[in-house]
Amino acid sequence: MSAIAHTETTVRAPAPSSFARVPAAFKLQFTVPSALVWIPLMAFFGAWAISVGVGLWVEAAGADFTAQSPFYSGASQAAVWCLLFIGAYAASHTFSFAMALSFSRRVYIFGVLLAFGLVSVAYGVLFGLLAALEQATDGLGGHFYTFALPFLVADSGAVGAGALAAALCLAAMLFGFFWAILYRRVSVMAVTIVALALGVVILAAVMLVTTNDWWPEVGEWVMNQSALTGAGWFLIPIVGLILASYAIIRRATP
Amino acid sequence: METAIEVSGVSRHHKSTTALDNVSVRFQRDTIHGLLGRNGAGKTSLMSVMTAHDWPDAGDVRVFGHRPYENEQVLPRICFVREDQKYIDDAKVHHALNAAALAFPRWDQDLAARLCQEFQVPEKTRIKKMSRGQRSAVGVIIGLASRAGVTFFDEPYMGLDAVARQLFYDRLIEDYSEHPRTIVLSSHLIDEIAHLIENVVLLDHGKILLDEPVEDLRDRAVTLVGRADAVEEITRGREILHEELMGRTTRVTVLGALSLSEQRRVQQLDIDVTPVSLQQLIVRLTSRGTPVSTDTEEVAA
Repeated sequence: MSAIAHTETTVRAPAPSSFARVPAAFKLQFTVPSALVWIPLMAFFGAWAISVGVGLWVEAAGADFTAQSPFYSGASQAAVWCLLFIGAYAASHTFSFAMALSFSRRVYIFGVLLAFGLVSVAYGVLFGLLAALEQATDGLGGHFYTFALPFLVADSGAVGAGALAAALCLAAMLFGFFWAILYRRVSVMAVTIVALALGVVILAAVMLVTTNDWWPEVGEWVMNQSALTGAGWFLIPIVGLILASYAIIRRATP
Repeated sequence: METAIEVSGVSRHHKSTTALDNVSVRFQRDTIHGLLGRNGAGKTSLMSVMTAHDWPDAGDVRVFGHRPYENEQVLPRICFVREDQKYIDDAKVHHALNAAALAFPRWDQDLAARLCQEFQVPEKTRIKKMSRGQRSAVGVIIGLASRAGVTFFDEPYMGLDAVARQLFYDRLIEDYSEHPRTIVLSSHLIDEIAHLIENVVLLDHGKILLDEPVEDLRDRAVTLVGRADAVEEITRGREILHEELMGRTTRVTVLGALSLSEQRRVQQLDIDVTPVSLQQLIVRLTSRGTPVSTDTEEVAA
C-alpha cells in the first residue's frame, strides 16, 4: 500500500449541512435536459404554432376574426399536460438513480421541488409574456389568442395569466409525480384503490352540492375568482401533493 | 481496527418472506469484505438496509457511527450501485458521471475518465442501449471513482467478459491500495475474488453463517480422498460437509484442520489430503442438507 494513503480517517471534514447536496439533487433533474427543458418547450411552441396555423387556415377558408369575434385557442394548456407526464417521468426515472447516488429522500424531493418550481416559473413567465404580446398586437394582428384568454387577463392582465399558468403547471407536475411515486411505493392494485377512493370523494362532494342545491353559489364563487386568486387557490393542492409525496417517498425503495 | 458498519439484530421481512433474520455483523473499516451467499440468501437486502435504500423491521444499523436512513451526514460517504441499476432514460455515460461527480464529495473525475477508456465504454451510446456488460462497467466506474468511504459492489461482474472482470479486480486493488476504504463486494465468482477480499461474511437464509478473515478460513476444512473405510476412520466424529462415493473410494470434506497425529495416520492409510478452496468451502457450507448433483453418487451430509 502507498505510504501516502488518504484514508477516510485522514480526510475528516466538518459535518456537512443536511441540505448541502440539494443543488446536486436539483441539477440531477436537468442531467438529461430533454425531459424538463426541450420536450416541454417543443410542446409549448409546437401547440402554439399549430393553433395559429389553424386560425390562419380557418380565416383563409372564409372566417373573419375581429375584436368582437376573435379566434380563441386552448393550445396553451398542451405544455401543462406534457409537464404532468414529465413530473411522473421524474419520479420513475430519477429516483432510482438518486438512491444510487446516496441522496437522502428529503434532499431528493427538495431537488425535485426546486426543479419543478423553476420550470413552472419559466412556464408562467413565458405564458405571461406571450399573453402581453397578444394583447399588445391585437392577437398577433389577426385576433388569434392562445394565451391572452379573457378569463385569464380580465382582472390582472398578463401578470395574472402568468401566475395562474405557473400555479397550474406546478400542480400538474406534482400531480404526475405523486401518482408515479405512489406506484413505486405500492402495487398497481393499491394505486387503483387510491384512485377509486379519490373518485368517490369527488363524487360525494358533487352529490353534496347537488343535494343541497348549491350549484348557483358554487358558480357565483367561481365567477368571482380572478386569475391571481385562482393561482392562490392552487396552493392548497400544491401543498397537499408535496406533503403526500414526501410521506410516500420516505418509504419508497429504488 | 475501527468499525465502519455495525449491524445489530436486523430483521427484514417482505410479506411472508424473511430476507434478514436477526442479523448482527460488523464490517471493519478500510477492509475489502466479501459478502457471499446463494441466490436469495439476503445479500442485496443486507446491502440495501446498510445503505438506507431500505430499512429494517427490527434492529439497528450504524455507518461510521450514524444511522444512515435520511442522514446526509453519512450518506455522501456511501456508494451502492445496484447490479440492475436503472439510469435516467436517454442518459449517456457522461450524464451519469456528471451527476455522480456532484453527489460524491471525493469523486475523482480523472479516474472516471481513465476507467471509461479502459473499459471501452461508448461515449455516444445511451446507457439503456448498452450491452449488459457495458452497463455493469458504468456501475463499476461510478463505484470506484466515487471514492466513497463505504462502497458496495453488488455482483458487479454481470455481463463483463473475463478481460473486463480482471481489469475491475486490478483497478479495485490498485485504487484501494492508494485510497484505503471499506469495500463490500458481493459475488458468486468466489474464486475470482478470493485474492481480493480480506474478510468473508457468508449469508444463508437471511442469517450470518460465517464472519471471518480469509486467512482464518484456510484451515477451516480439508478434503480427504481414499478407501472408504480408511477415510471413515479419520472423519469419525467430525462434521462432514460433503461426501462423494466413487466405488470403493470416497471423497469427504470435513470441517476443521487435521491434528499432527491425524496427519500421520492419514499418511499411513494412504489418504490424499487436499486443501479446500474458498469457493468449495462456501459451497459446502451453504449446501449442507441440500444434495448437489454431480456425476458421482453423492451423500449430502
